[in-house]
Amino acid sequence: MTIEMQRGSVIVMDRRRGKLRAGQGLLQGLKVVWDHWAGSFRTNDNFSKIHGTFTVEYPDERLPMPQAYRNMPVLLFDDESGHELCTGCYQCQRICPPQVIHITQAKDPVTGKMVPAATEFIIEYDACMSCGFCAEVCPFDSIKMDHVYELSTADRVSLTMRKTQLNRPISYYTGIAPDLWAEAQAGAMKKLQGSIKRRPDVIGLAASLTEKIKARRLELAAAGQVAGGGGQEAGVAPAAPAAKLTPEEKAAKLAAMKAAKQAGGAPAPAEAPVELSPADAKAAKLAAIKAANAAKQAGAAPAEAPVELSPADAKAAKLAAIKAANAAKQAGAVPAPVEVPSTPLDAKAARLAAIKAANAAKQAAEQSNNE
Amino acid sequence: MLKTEELQINIGPQHPSTHGVFRMLVTVDGETVTDLKPVFGYLHRNHEQIAEVNTYLQNMPYTDRLDYFNAMANNQAYAMAVEKMVGIEVPERAEYLRVLMVELTRILNHAGALGFLINDMGAWQTQLAFGMREREKILDLFESVSGARLMCNYFRFGGVARDLPPDFMPRLKDLLVAMPAFVDEMERLLRENEILLQRSEGIGILPKDLALAYSVTGPVLRGSGVAYDIRRAEPYSIYDRLDFDIPVGSVGDVYDRILVRIEEMRQSRRIIEQVIAQLPDAQGGHINPKARQNVRPPVGDVYARVETPKGELGFYLVSDGSSKPYRYKVRAPSFINLTPLGDMCRGYKVADMVVILGSIDIVMGEVDR
Ligand code: SF4
Ligand code: SF4
Repeated sequence: MTIEMQRGSVIVMDRRRGKLRAGQGLLQGLKVVWDHWAGSFRTNDNFSKIHGTFTVEYPDERLPMPQAYRNMPVLLFDDESGHELCTGCYQCQRICPPQVIHITQAKDPVTGKMVPAATEFIIEYDACMSCGFCAEVCPFDSIKMDHVYELSTADRVSLTMRKTQLNRPISYYTGIAPDLWAEAQAGAMKKLQGSIKRRPDVIGLAASLTEKIKARRLELAAAGQVAGGGGQEAGVAPAAPAAKLTPEEKAAKLAAMKAAKQAGGAPAPAEAPVELSPADAKAAKLAAIKAANAAKQAGAAPAEAPVELSPADAKAAKLAAIKAANAAKQAGAVPAPVEVPSTPLDAKAARLAAIKAANAAKQAAEQSNNE
Repeated sequence: MLKTEELQINIGPQHPSTHGVFRMLVTVDGETVTDLKPVFGYLHRNHEQIAEVNTYLQNMPYTDRLDYFNAMANNQAYAMAVEKMVGIEVPERAEYLRVLMVELTRILNHAGALGFLINDMGAWQTQLAFGMREREKILDLFESVSGARLMCNYFRFGGVARDLPPDFMPRLKDLLVAMPAFVDEMERLLRENEILLQRSEGIGILPKDLALAYSVTGPVLRGSGVAYDIRRAEPYSIYDRLDFDIPVGSVGDVYDRILVRIEEMRQSRRIIEQVIAQLPDAQGGHINPKARQNVRPPVGDVYARVETPKGELGFYLVSDGSSKPYRYKVRAPSFINLTPLGDMCRGYKVADMVVILGSIDIVMGEVDR
């Protein structure tokens, strides 16, 4: 029965140590309790002490959570560009042990190809086991474990979290886990830039950032119309390939944003998929026509012309038109003659709208410079 | 002479002294227990079947939920089983980290278990509060390294999930300063306390041969005087490099189990000190970079076991070559240690029965699975 032991030995526990007089054991124990009682008036802030209180008055005071603490997963988006880091690669959905992640991958509305973004991302918080695998496996550092622990509710259904509820800016995550983000940052941002390049339209922008989405739409409308008009970029248009964040592009974006602010209206549905790759001139052209019409009407309410295209395209086009028109109107743009080679059909109208939008952006930029 | 009748009573499944949803079908003659049948199954969560539809890695967080006091030890047993099946090497540093975590687990388990036992004896919360306080410090450490206090999910195939955060070691060293003081104090409070002696000495005796016949393991077996500890009997991980003693009891009653547990906490502390001393020289990182987490073990079966604070925890896995276990079986120490409860309680009073159950130290999550 006894086992061979190289290191250490078997020790038989000594049941009676000293000869205690009756009651002495009790008194000894009482002394321990007494010491703790006496110590309970001090605070214990050190792991090496065993006396003293080290609890906090919870709802009023909270202990800081360690960075690695994990409770529920959230999705990150980039503060600056507004783009979500998630590419909809399904890795987290696949690894999730209780299978509570449900992803819908984004598709290019025109070509139907997969786009590295997720249109919907659902996590059933009520069944999540907080294992942290999703955060561990995500190659894009998009899903991270949150530190919020007060999630209790009587409404179980409200714990099914959609993407809009899961989105958090990166700055939020750096607030709770700076070191962990520092480790991941370089890789994550590099991959994000790669994804952004492959995201047409406003796909991948955090839905809560309506300003950013608006700006992006404007910018796209302008850039896309020029591209649609014939591919030659007018010097004034913020027309660089849409996703690159070169300094010029940033400036243009800023300008576009200003224009949008001035336009001040046309609340955009968050997820309307607008297509804008240069290859797809059709939708852009359509938008341009609408924009031109709207501009002509000068101050007319958002144009409601019926469009016979696929519903998604039609809607997007309408939207772009409204915005371009509004921006043009408010900024008081004057059409400037710019040489753009003609392509058949409505090239002219498209050109006009594009120029108007570009000018609006430019003027807005100038205004802001003057201020 | 008054004619008495035997009475059958149910204690549990909802009862404060049953340590979970567990039912004891007790036949009493007055105050004396004449028979006791443990009835399990109220906390059945289909653990083993769920494991068969999960991939190997997905089962890791589920093992946390077996014995939720000792998530780290459960992780270790499961990780070892899969590593054995696939043939994954574990770097030295990872082994040290694993042993460190598991020994901390042992301390916190015993601190808690003794607290609950004293609670069962009627001393209400005193010892439990002291034990929980030390446990809390260890849980803080676990939280800082694994992200969770109880459901650590810290082990991966070929190592552990992440290396120690920078503030871990200073806090651990502080804790080790507190540890002997805490154990000594606990001993002063319990050892030779007249009331405790009355309640535990000669109570719930489990003789050596019966313990072996029931395949009991852990402190219960050692309390019965059998020096059997898998860390020594079948050294795994790096236990063959560490010095520690195995405490055994001489009578096999509740008191012996208390003493064994107190001493095991001391020995665990000794192990941790050696780990801290040897850790800086350990080779490799916290995980084997070549180890794939998405494993597909070759066809075959494997059994790996570790000495958790409660006894021998074993995982028996059968692989059909796919990414999911074909069969997944847990040999849970709490479950097997609970089976001789009837023999341990026979002839004692009802009040003793509660204490005897407490001295086995069960967690129903592991018993029912
Ligand atoms: S934490 Fe675990 S259970 Fe929760 S969503 Fe992530 S992978 Fe699924
Ligand atoms: S959160 Fe990460 S792992 Fe999950 S789909 Fe998005 S990019 Fe992939």
